Amino acid sequence: MSEKLIREANERAAKYFSRRHFLQDCMAGIGATALGSLIGGCNIFSSSSPVAGMPQSLNPLEPKAPQFPARAKNVIYLHMAGAPSQLEMFDYKPDLQKLHNQLCPQSLLQGKKFAFIRGVPKMLGPQAKFQQYGESRAWVSDFMPHFSTMVDDVSFLKGVHTDQFNHGPAQLFMHTGSARLGRPSIGSWVTYGLGSENSNLPGFVVLTSGGKTPDAGKSVWGSGFLPSVYQGVQCRSKGDPVLYITDPEGMDRDMRYQSIQAINDVNKLEYEAFSDAETLSRISQYELAYKMQISVPGVMDIADEPEYIQEMYGTQPGKESFANNCLLARKLVEKGVRFVQLFDWGWDAHGTGEDTAVNLGMRNKCTQIDRPITALLKDLKQRGLLDETLVVWGGEFGRTPMQENREGQEMPFLGRDHHAEAFTMWMAGGGIRKGFTWGETDEIGFSVVKGKVAVHDIHATMLQQLGFDHEKLIYHFQGRPFRLTDVEGHVIHEILG
Amino acid sequence: MYYSTTFRILSSIGAILLAGILTIGCGKRKPVDYSTEVKPILNKHCISCHGGVKQNGGFSVLFREEALGNTKSGHPAIIPGDAKRSEFIRRLHSRDPKERMPYKSAPLDKSEIEILTRWVEEGAQWGEHWAYVPPEKPTDTAANIDYYINAKLEEEGLKAAPEADKLTLLRRVSLDLTGLPPTTAMMESFMKDSSATAYEKVVDSLLASPHYGERWAAMWLDLARFADSKGYEKDAQREIWRYRDWVIDAFNNDMPYDQFTIEQIGGDLLPEPTDAQMTATAFHRNTMNNDEGGTVDEEFRTAAIIDRVNTTMEVFQGTTIACVQCHSHPYDPFRFEDYYKLMSFLNNTRDEDTPGEYPVLRLYDSIGKKQVDTVTAWISQHGNTAAKKEMNEFLRTLEPKIHAHDCDEFLNGNLADTKYLGIRNGGSCRLKNAPLNGRTHLYMYYWTGNKGSSVEIHIDSLNGPVIAKQAMPDPEGTNVLDIPIPAIEGRHHLYFVFKNSTIKPEQTVCSVEWMALRGDLPGKNDPGYNQMEKAYWRVVNAHPESVPVMVENPTEMFRETRTFERGNWLVKGVLVKPDVPKSLNPFPANAPRNRLGLGQWLASKQNPLTARVMVNRLWEQLFGTGIVETQEDFGSQGFLPSHPQLLDHLAYQFMNKHEWRMKATLKEMVLSAAYRRDSRSNAELQQKDPANRLFARGPRFRLTAEQVRDQVLAVSGLLSEKMHGKSVMPYQPEGIWQAVYNGQRWKLSEDGDQYRRGVYTYIRRTSPYPSIVTFDGSSREVCTQRRIRTNTPLQALVTLNDPVYVEAARNLALSMRSTGKDQKAWISAGYKTAMYKEITPAKLAILTKLYTEAYDKFKEDPAAASSLANCKDNMPAVGELAALTVVANAIMNLDEFLSKS
Repeated sequence: MSEKLIREANERAAKYFSRRHFLQDCMAGIGATALGSLIGGCNIFSSSSPVAGMPQSLNPLEPKAPQFPARAKNVIYLHMAGAPSQLEMFDYKPDLQKLHNQLCPQSLLQGKKFAFIRGVPKMLGPQAKFQQYGESRAWVSDFMPHFSTMVDDVSFLKGVHTDQFNHGPAQLFMHTGSARLGRPSIGSWVTYGLGSENSNLPGFVVLTSGGKTPDAGKSVWGSGFLPSVYQGVQCRSKGDPVLYITDPEGMDRDMRYQSIQAINDVNKLEYEAFSDAETLSRISQYELAYKMQISVPGVMDIADEPEYIQEMYGTQPGKESFANNCLLARKLVEKGVRFVQLFDWGWDAHGTGEDTAVNLGMRNKCTQIDRPITALLKDLKQRGLLDETLVVWGGEFGRTPMQENREGQEMPFLGRDHHAEAFTMWMAGGGIRKGFTWGETDEIGFSVVKGKVAVHDIHATMLQQLGFDHEKLIYHFQGRPFRLTDVEGHVIHEILG
Repeated sequence: MYYSTTFRILSSIGAILLAGILTIGCGKRKPVDYSTEVKPILNKHCISCHGGVKQNGGFSVLFREEALGNTKSGHPAIIPGDAKRSEFIRRLHSRDPKERMPYKSAPLDKSEIEILTRWVEEGAQWGEHWAYVPPEKPTDTAANIDYYINAKLEEEGLKAAPEADKLTLLRRVSLDLTGLPPTTAMMESFMKDSSATAYEKVVDSLLASPHYGERWAAMWLDLARFADSKGYEKDAQREIWRYRDWVIDAFNNDMPYDQFTIEQIGGDLLPEPTDAQMTATAFHRNTMNNDEGGTVDEEFRTAAIIDRVNTTMEVFQGTTIACVQCHSHPYDPFRFEDYYKLMSFLNNTRDEDTPGEYPVLRLYDSIGKKQVDTVTAWISQHGNTAAKKEMNEFLRTLEPKIHAHDCDEFLNGNLADTKYLGIRNGGSCRLKNAPLNGRTHLYMYYWTGNKGSSVEIHIDSLNGPVIAKQAMPDPEGTNVLDIPIPAIEGRHHLYFVFKNSTIKPEQTVCSVEWMALRGDLPGKNDPGYNQMEKAYWRVVNAHPESVPVMVENPTEMFRETRTFERGNWLVKGVLVKPDVPKSLNPFPANAPRNRLGLGQWLASKQNPLTARVMVNRLWEQLFGTGIVETQEDFGSQGFLPSHPQLLDHLAYQFMNKHEWRMKATLKEMVLSAAYRRDSRSNAELQQKDPANRLFARGPRFRLTAEQVRDQVLAVSGLLSEKMHGKSVMPYQPEGIWQAVYNGQRWKLSEDGDQYRRGVYTYIRRTSPYPSIVTFDGSSREVCTQRRIRTNTPLQALVTLNDPVYVEAARNLALSMRSTGKDQKAWISAGYKTAMYKEITPAKLAILTKLYTEAYDKFKEDPAAASSLANCKDNMPAVGELAALTVVANAIMNLDEFLSKS
């Protein structure tokens, strides 16, 4: 074969390169020189004008070192929007059973505000059966049979409290550290602090299930005053997995590649003429967009997972479900996505109907999450990922030990009202102590009596595991330094491994 | 070892003496300047422990009287004129880590200590922060923008770039002033015009274009946090687009900024306010409203008022005051009480976080207007002008209303969903201290599905005398029930007992949203009364279109304002009266102590901040960075102005020469040589001034979210130039609106409305339009002073693949193919349509290569070509169109296209 023919063949191969080739060699693609020269050091904590909108590195998602060696690299946050009842899942209260159907003592009602309870409600005993499991002898209800096998990997926080008892503000508080809109979400803080490990995927991915987005809307994964590049990217199991990631009909991958190459070639001429660093940045962002177009649909497709994994999670490819999202969370973390946030809607068990009864609808909700969560923990563990992945589970508040009596009336089904004073969350992996319970509520689960934990403490602890002093992860905005934990927050040292 | 030996030696008392001697020895030096030299050191090292938040050791350096006062030790820490004896200075040198300041931090530099020492020696004078001193009349009246800019360039030894070429400049100024590229006609006439005033003529015609108002409204709406929904959990629709139109019109009519300010803050309090002036007050009705069941209206009313205080100070004063809610400002001279004094101006409006969004301005149709005229004509005939005015005001808003949430003492009933009276048969509730004041009618706005309902009103106690009994028919909808009551003076508790024995015990008799107390209509026995009364009730029961506005509480509903202890709205502190911070200009002598007066204070020429903040904002829009970069913070934590005299010059001209007119001010800016410069950078500029803070070159930065969209629509010929009206819903992918309450749907607008400018796109706060947010648009939850420009792959995906942009590419491809004979001509034409200049051969070569690659591909795959071009024509036409679509899509993704250059 003549040299010319070989050269032509090589050129053609390079032109219509395979997807595989591109992914393996992603840095050597178009504009690699430009990109290479962009990536300088970036010290986000330097005081020199983080406000100014002048990124010190032109790639704001460049991986950055934490302040001290981290126990966790990634986070999977499982948020049960609507607030699950701790009293039917983890906080076992036999004494509450004894008080079942009795009128609530005035002492519990005095000076308290409830969202819907009016007058004097009745006490509502636990609607689930409890048993102790594992070496840690942790109490888990029969609503969560699979999860009961994982208790020795988990630290329960039974004394969490919040200061918000409406969904929107409480969810905002839980995810942004403030009950008002406008602050960055925890995932945004984390990607701001640590950047992203995988340049083909967003650093902060959000998955929703339960048919609806959380009450507080997309602000719970918004970037607030941080640059919008840090906001969560919602990946969807229906339609485009990331908005606008699909090329228009009639344009195939090769043509998209050629078109981005042309765009970037012109942009390089533009850069030579104007020396504007933003132009260089745009060149690299177009490369990233192209890479995301290849990698995101792949990661978001769970069909290629083996049968036993599908079985373990209880997934149904092509549908929107919490189980699918759990499996996706593992895949994303495996690929180096820093923060995966799951929202599952439908936990607001007021007892206004069958689907919101604590003994019926709530039980179904538990069934929907029980197997997937267990599978997620097991799967992470068997892949050696649990040690470096912090898994957090919880709602925005808890539920009352009293039965809800909306407008002072008895309700057709058993329900519980919003309760901010005491609820249960748990954490696992990422250097969290195994098989441990911290915090305790009184005999009926109304107030915390030991190991009280505030929302900002949860945040401080999460940041700690990621290698940050929560008091030092700051951003200057409107003339003052802001942090996720505002002026509060204590690391919960008791649950650190 | 942390301390060097040298430092040890220095940090002895002897060293202080030495420093003192040195200072005195250098007595001829210019005295230390507090604002620029001392304050930055205090802010950086001292104020977090000794400021507005913490006063450790009883010492604070925020206000002079505090700094010179006695500390916990019983002695002052600063003795003016005597650095030696000042503990403040001694502690800087101390070797004892428990004493040495800053505590637990690195010691100050020698130079910093020297400045502080000299400052104390010179008497520890407090200077005023530059931004709180009103801009003075420039000494050099001949000076203009370029005078100040060039002086600084000379100082820095930088050479200014030459003027940009004509076409580049035309595109720049058109995008800046109208948010759209120029029209072809404008381009042609500008190119032909070789007169010296050619550019100025273009500027004048751009300023006169109705698109000018749309472009600048887009900026203002971020500040006003305008949105089409209420926010929070339910985030239901809000009909407030008339405010957006008011802003567009105000800019187009070049409303002076003082008037613009006054009307938005207190337009309803102007004498005989017009509908437009009332609509202006919707500025502060853009606060969020919480409809979630179980929420306390007063909590969210308070949140809205706090937002109004913060937004007022941010928008008009470039001052962050939110922190003063809880404590004195940590850095700036605003005291805790100042916050609540400002709040008390804004705390007396009728809106109370109710789902109906009252008060609203009722905008009657022509029939409704006639009925209103009938009624008011009658009133002026039978009453006096005051009565006529009162009736007019009532029919405009149906205020003052008493909302259902004011009731308490519910028996067999409740405040349903924390919104409406929902009382069961025989149940009751109380309206505490109702201001009867002799009025003879109680209106009740209600609905019911039941026949045979009635209401009884008892006075003073549940068993007190019945003052009214009234049947409540089923109005089949909502209705205002007229309940005649005897004339009783003063305030009384009213008890409402609702009855309907035919309904089930758990059913409520009716739902009541609000009540109102009114007097008799005059002239009862005169002919024509009945007809007038009929018209009156038609008007009252009408459901005209409306817009939320401000209405002040009448005296009998006056709401007092108290401080919130540590910012907690439930823990009320001392009573305060409306007033403005002492550190700013005094309240105008003749101004009323209400919102109108607050507006007049802001719009006063004595206000040191209003004009500066606004001209800085306009400058930032054109140049990419403000003269004060932190345009949201003109306080001492913000950045110093890069060109202080220029800022003052612009502010002074804005107020005086231009009489607060923004068009004239913008014209002055865009006519400057600084604005007209070529935006090419070079190695020297990259090195010395990478961010172009000195304006040696012209501005170059990415367009705003709205401009990115508008430009694509304009260039492809899709843009609808229709103005005003309800917000529109352009194409949005399925499944974006997945909020908790499913009542609302995203319904694709039709008939060209899907191609309206971005400023008309419907904004739902919890789920804003995706492509706008991707390009840093605001979700409008709170006031956004400055959009931080980001550069992300998600933006690339929008402009590459969003069907809106693909459709635009197709359209551009069609027009490209109609303009010449071959691909080179087509591509050149397409580039020129987009970029307003000729394509260079190198760029043409790249795009031609792309065309050829695409065309070859489509030749082999005509089906793909038909899909992309979205037409069923035969080859080669469809292949050419598809390949041109690929090229058009690339052109509309070029950095130069997405940027203003």
